[in-house]
Amino acid sequence: MADMSKQGQGLPPYTLKVDWVKIKELVHAIGDGNPLFLEKEPALSEGYRDTPCPPTFITLAFQEFTGAYFKAFEALGVSLGDVLHGEETYEYLGEIYPGDLLTCHMVFESIVQKETKSGQMYLITLRTRVTNDRGEDVLTATSLIIERMT
Amino acid sequence: MTHYIDFDSLQIGDALPALTKDPITKVQLVRYAGASGDFNPLHTDDQVALAAGMKGVIAQGILIMGFMGQAISGWVQLRHLKRFKVRFKGVTYPGDVITVKAWSGKAMCQAKGRSSCATSSLKIRTGKPRFLENLRC
Repeated sequence: MADMSKQGQGLPPYTLKVDWVKIKELVHAIGDGNPLFLEKEPALSEGYRDTPCPPTFITLAFQEFTGAYFKAFEALGVSLGDVLHGEETYEYLGEIYPGDLLTCHMVFESIVQKETKSGQMYLITLRTRVTNDRGEDVLTATSLIIERMT
Repeated sequence: MTHYIDFDSLQIGDALPALTKDPITKVQLVRYAGASGDFNPLHTDDQVALAAGMKGVIAQGILIMGFMGQAISGWVQLRHLKRFKVRFKGVTYPGDVITVKAWSGKAMCQAKGRSSCATSSLKIRTGKPRFLENLRC
């Protein structure tokens, strides 16, 4: 079960380099043929300085490439097999482009214990502030993770 | 050239263009695993999924959020998208057809033939902020 004493703590800041090939791979996997993400000309004509990231690109900052979710679950004493992803929220504060080096600051914002008909669960909110190489805030990601105790 | 929606002239209840995706395939889930880094075998290995009580592999939730993101980036310049929140409500299997539907002031995202798998709310700021709420998937 989630270690409630870890509330307010977090992971040491970690980085993710935004790779154009990974953007291309992601939009192809989604099946999104929008040229905005793949070709410079349409992006520049809309006033972007390069091809922008699609809205869900930041998920890469939490998965295997950084191990952030795994590290958070380990720090909280949560087993991967017991978790469900309840909600995901992105707040967009700036633009993210290929070549940007993002720094992620994840905090274990809250851990709430809840009793339900199907048993006890913990609602874990992970909040991550993302800044770019210029120190600008570009995004905040909030993941609500549900740990089921069965 | 993309023709975006004029959000400032939308009336409450006006429909936005729907997006219907091709049926989800197992290959797509494998590709999405590699692309996103979500290598949870629940999405790629039927045996693991069956042992977890599913009928087989299930789609990554963020893939469904990605479908919504595809629809949104067809509606509005991304710099106007300020907040994108998704609540995952159920599971999606290969073969499922996801349709993203939305209305001004209220939005829906539906998985045809199945119960709701995700709901979403958006904040889009052009001239004045617009909230699209209760997206379902």
